[in-house]
Amino acid sequence: MLESLEGKQGKPRFKPPFPANYGLYGKPTTINNTQSLASVPAIIRNGAAWFAALGPEGSGGTALFSVSGHVEKPGNYELPMGIPFKDLLNDVCGGVLGGRKLKAVIPGGSSCKVLPADIIMDCTMDYTSLQQAGSSFGTGAVVVMDETTCMVKVLRRISRFYMAESCGQCTPCREGTGWLYRMLTRIIDGKGEEADLHKLVDVANKIEGHTICALGDAAAWPVQSFLKHFHDEFAYMIRNHGRSIVDAATDAAA
Amino acid sequence: MSDDIVNIEVDGEAVEARRGQMLIEVTDAVGAYVPRFCYHDKLSVAANCRMCLVEVEKVPKPMPACATPVGEGMKVFTKSPKAIAAQKATMEFLLINHPLDCPICDQGGECELQDLAIGYGRDVSRYNDGKRVVKDKDIGPLVSTDMTRCIHCTRCVRFGEEITGKPQLGTTDRGENMKIGTYVEQSVDHELSANIIDLCPVGALNNKPYRYSARAWEMAQHATVSPHDCVGSNLYAHVLRGTVKRIVPRANESINESWIADRDRYSYEAIYSGDRLMRPRVKENGAWRDVDWEGALAQAADVLKSADQDKVALIATPAVTVEEGHLLSQIADHLGTANIDHRVGRRDVSDQDNDPMYPSLGCSIAEIEQHDAILVAGSNVRAEAPIIAHRLRKAAVAGAAISFANSSVYEYLFDVANYLSGAGLVELLAGVAVAAADGNSLPDSVTELCDGVTASGAHKDVARSLAEADRAIVLLGNIAGRHASYTAVRALAAAIAELTGASFGGLSEGPNSAGACLAGVLPHRAQGGENRVTAGLDVASMLAQAMDAVVLVNVEPDADIHAATDAVARLAEQAFVVALTPFVSDALLEAADLLLPTGTFAETSGTYVNVEGTWQSFSGVASAVGEARPTWKVLRVLGNLVDAPGFDYVTSVDVRDEFVARLGEISTSNAYEASGRIAKVNGADAPANDIDIPLYSVDALVRRATALQLTDEAQRARAVSDG
Amino acid sequence: MNRAITYVKTFALWELLRGLSVTLRNFFRPSVTLEYPEEKTPQSPRFRGLHALRRYPNGEERCIACKLCEAVCPALAITIESDVSDDGTRRTTRYDIDLFKCIYCGFCEEACPVDAIVETRLHEYHMELPGENIMTKDKLLAIGDKYDAMISADKAADAKYR
Repeated sequence: MLESLEGKQGKPRFKPPFPANYGLYGKPTTINNTQSLASVPAIIRNGAAWFAALGPEGSGGTALFSVSGHVEKPGNYELPMGIPFKDLLNDVCGGVLGGRKLKAVIPGGSSCKVLPADIIMDCTMDYTSLQQAGSSFGTGAVVVMDETTCMVKVLRRISRFYMAESCGQCTPCREGTGWLYRMLTRIIDGKGEEADLHKLVDVANKIEGHTICALGDAAAWPVQSFLKHFHDEFAYMIRNHGRSIVDAATDAAA
Repeated sequence: MSDDIVNIEVDGEAVEARRGQMLIEVTDAVGAYVPRFCYHDKLSVAANCRMCLVEVEKVPKPMPACATPVGEGMKVFTKSPKAIAAQKATMEFLLINHPLDCPICDQGGECELQDLAIGYGRDVSRYNDGKRVVKDKDIGPLVSTDMTRCIHCTRCVRFGEEITGKPQLGTTDRGENMKIGTYVEQSVDHELSANIIDLCPVGALNNKPYRYSARAWEMAQHATVSPHDCVGSNLYAHVLRGTVKRIVPRANESINESWIADRDRYSYEAIYSGDRLMRPRVKENGAWRDVDWEGALAQAADVLKSADQDKVALIATPAVTVEEGHLLSQIADHLGTANIDHRVGRRDVSDQDNDPMYPSLGCSIAEIEQHDAILVAGSNVRAEAPIIAHRLRKAAVAGAAISFANSSVYEYLFDVANYLSGAGLVELLAGVAVAAADGNSLPDSVTELCDGVTASGAHKDVARSLAEADRAIVLLGNIAGRHASYTAVRALAAAIAELTGASFGGLSEGPNSAGACLAGVLPHRAQGGENRVTAGLDVASMLAQAMDAVVLVNVEPDADIHAATDAVARLAEQAFVVALTPFVSDALLEAADLLLPTGTFAETSGTYVNVEGTWQSFSGVASAVGEARPTWKVLRVLGNLVDAPGFDYVTSVDVRDEFVARLGEISTSNAYEASGRIAKVNGADAPANDIDIPLYSVDALVRRATALQLTDEAQRARAVSDG
Repeated sequence: MNRAITYVKTFALWELLRGLSVTLRNFFRPSVTLEYPEEKTPQSPRFRGLHALRRYPNGEERCIACKLCEAVCPALAITIESDVSDDGTRRTTRYDIDLFKCIYCGFCEEACPVDAIVETRLHEYHMELPGENIMTKDKLLAIGDKYDAMISADKAADAKYR
């Protein structure tokens, strides 16, 4: 953002120096999320204790949940931190769309690790609980997916996003995101190989932690988690030359 | 222990480092090599290749060594499994979109990616999807592009932004589609731009004239020195079977750092130009005929011996080596003439008795950037000495106030403090001198010149910046040196330096003005700077009088002689003109009567003394073209034939050693003492356009280097000269 | 006794008879001699004989002047000069093999990334004049063109072991 404000290309700045020391035009700069800034007036008005009491320990205050996907009532909700996911889904959002079965949830935006239904249903929506479950709270953008969702296609869509969003500055993200996307596309086109699954995770591991900014990590996490939880679906598609396990289930039901 | 030292551990060895140093500098210093692509010690840190990832204790992620500052107690592992795994991961990513065209890539064999792929690459690619293809850009006649090979290290981009100040290359698009290119279709045409070839770690940017003509491993590398400007940039010539295939920089921090000017890099093309004189030729009744060396030299010797001793003229250029100068001045002594000069560009020699022993910069080349204020007068410094211009830019970027005084305005790619122009050079400098005096008395020599001159605000700014600086210098350029009122210009510049407490110096012409002066290739001074009993004639006077014999050494009368007008016609009228020259031209055919083919800088050994007084010897690197012989050998044999004593040298080193032994104390003083009050200049102080030599016209080699002549810069200059 | 036997053997030309018995045995064995040049021994497709430069089926020279063969040649028999060709590709302007220097090791063939330089099965050649030992690019290409079928077949036969 600082680079863009200075009229340069939107590419990450290398840290250190941190913006607090050397920011916009070389002046100390504070950068914060809008959500953090929006909490400030309320905290000043009601006090810190009030804010902290809104949620469980370690995750004070409210959060904005942007629920999308297969729910009856998608939308943006401001709720206290620590609300059980079950309540968020069933009470606030009116349940899974069409009464179908929940398959998986990405709890904090597409960069967070996906959680399958059985894990997420026991979670509360706060930092600690989700971290323990193997994901993170992220931005609070909850993506709900029901049983008709093909996880391979979802992952490809997410990978495409990260390929397009990569700025191209550092190597692992520039080259790796495209590689992930092309491998997934190949699998969906029915030209996948068994070795691709291992390769996908390996490439994701090689992006993670090696980049300047967090976009590389964000591109790697979904791949790692999707393959961890839904390895079967990927393997099925490769074996059946691009046929999704979801299609197979519907066909069988028919 | 000072606070500036931190103790770290590299691969288990305790190392001391300066606070603020990046890890890679420390690991390099202790010899723990960390692979890298984007890091370059002359450029800013980008940390975008991710090849230099190393493991740092207590840090979960591998850290880029080029962008991680050292910290007390840091433990770094450059070759731990984690570091190697991260480096191998990066290498795999770099290679997936890199074409496998090493067999036709000119970088093959000297490619950083190739080298590191041996150590960090897999033997078999796991990548079996489509590779990226990028359209090549035409960025001019000097640098070829194969952008598919680009690994986006952005060294070339940073070079443009930080070193030349002319950011002509940049990145467009994002992600996988990120490309390096010019934003709009244009060539990359800074005078140092071809250094991006050396910076590029892969074969994306390469040497265009050299394209596909040799491989790195089959060429022999010979050290040599640039013959184009007073800097004497250190070069390596890469030679294949006796032919120079390309020139690359030889790093020398005190002179050219790791850069060279484009003309240093590409002038070698002229060695193999069609203009080379292949064998001796003589003019008989207006027709040229090839002769053998023996006959040609005998004829030259006969002419010299039979000539009246006052009617022998020896004219060289500032490109003569010290050895050639020494031989030439001995021949002159033997023949009993003092008509010997190398100052073919100097119009005003009236004040020559007050010249310093040799023209000097007044400080070392590396010291330029340590000055706080610099006034450059009468100079198109980017064309005259690109490396000096780069040092000036470094000084400016570091905060120095760089001012210029020149009739014409030239572009400088940094913040110029003051640019005085719009009037004659004498007038501009007189203004600064008056401002520097600030009401106090001016040195006597310039009082008349400054009479009636008032200082403007800009003049005062310049004078103030020089006076207030801790370290300031006034530099005269080649335009000043060729100025018709050089005496006045120099007196004024010296006066400004004296009044403001600045040092005083200047750029000299050619690679060896200093050496030629020391060797006594001057009409008024013998070797070692001693005044001759009776001064001989300078270039203009020699040409104006009827001579029995004129010897030209590497002189192209039409392009090199600025001291006199109509040099070609006047030479043609002389009784007998012997020209020692590597090239033949219409002008020489008209002016000369005997042509002796001599070698270029690549075919001869010798020594240049640069503008800071550094002696740099080099040996011949290439086989002779045709029957060309090194100039010093030709002069040696000529010396034998005219019975000059002591001409038994076997190598050029013998010549140099003898000269050095004879040379007494060399005075580096630039102190200027005028002989008296200098008269007001009238009319002669014309704008400097006609005495500026464009970047790619400075000498016979550059004028014949095809690629350089194809540049926009050269074409613009030609358009101007053709009107 | 021994002395007597030796005496008899000496005068009976016993050693000679033993030697002739070998001759006699072989006289009735089938002949292994070939009537060269009418008859020839079989050759391996890997036989390393006279060199050739190959072309692609569309007539384009394979050689890209990478000079790897020149670099690998242990006898320094190969001399290459290269330049940019009219169509902008990297090509040789000179490709000489000195057959007097060549030791027929086949390294050039191994080093070639584009299978341009090959050693054919031709081994019956001679030179009459000085200088004929230098195989120029034109000569090498001509051999490649003439024996293309043989070279291709040999390459195909050997392909599965590479």
